[in-house]
Amino acid sequence: MILSFLRNKVMDVQQEKGGSLRIFWRLTETFLDASLEMQVRLPDLEITGVWGKLQRAPHKECGSAAELLSKVVGVRVGPGLRKIVEGLIGGPAGCPELAEAVLECCNSVILHFTVPQLQATETGTEEERRERFQAMVRFNPRLVRSCVAFADDSPLMEGLV
Amino acid sequence: MISFSRSMLVGAEFPQEDLVRFHGMLEDRIYAMEVLMDVRISDGVIQQVQGRMKRFTTPVCPKAVDMLQTAVGISLREPGWVSKINKEVGRKGCQHFAEIMVECGRCLDAARMAHELLAKSAQTPEADPTSLTQAFLATHPELAGKCMARP
Repeated sequence: MILSFLRNKVMDVQQEKGGSLRIFWRLTETFLDASLEMQVRLPDLEITGVWGKLQRAPHKECGSAAELLSKVVGVRVGPGLRKIVEGLIGGPAGCPELAEAVLECCNSVILHFTVPQLQATETGTEEERRERFQAMVRFNPRLVRSCVAFADDSPLMEGLV
Repeated sequence: MISFSRSMLVGAEFPQEDLVRFHGMLEDRIYAMEVLMDVRISDGVIQQVQGRMKRFTTPVCPKAVDMLQTAVGISLREPGWVSKINKEVGRKGCQHFAEIMVECGRCLDAARMAHELLAKSAQTPEADPTSLTQAFLATHPELAGKCMARP
């Protein structure tokens, strides 16, 4: 069947020479064409810059939405991030699409650090792999009960809970 | 050098008058999965969900496919639906499945608007898309109060 609507989102994380990360985010769909660039300083994961543009938007008010982005400069990628970002630039008085864009960029930063950890679990015996997963959980306790793989009854958590 | 990339794609078709079918796809360096989700337009209730994990990280991950059924009956119009999906589908199943479903759910109003605008443009090709959008918003009060452009 022919689609009535199609939304496409792309995110890329790039390592910069100065030791920071730059995240590129782009959304295109029937009504909206938006892009965002964010810089995150390492190792404290502080957002040091955000630049956004709505090339195409359904309402004239959307044109000033990108000005809200500067409010998240200084925020750190860490616990409570969703509440902070939604409070600063989302909600009925803000732009939920851009708030989501910022959160997705931050999520990409976390996944950037997750890739090498997961690569280490791809080889070895079942037992060795399980040990590496458990080391990951010990290093990041927020993973506990975050999904079915890290639930209390998961075989990956045997001996850990 | 690019160290991480992710693409998310949401398509919407309207197989029946009161039904929208979302096709959601997530592909990144770590995961690849798809969701097909039917939503009743009149009340936003999820009627059916199917999912497929194409690439995942642990042998336990595929168990999350069964947890997609916990989303059936949730309304995308009720307050807190995102948290509900994140809790039921995400924490008890897979966070990335939850991400795709939420992305599909967030497209509900835009998809409805696109569908109606396509039909109206076909009837009156000379119609201005901006005024069609404004007319749609004026006749759908449930879309108000969502953002600075729709107070």
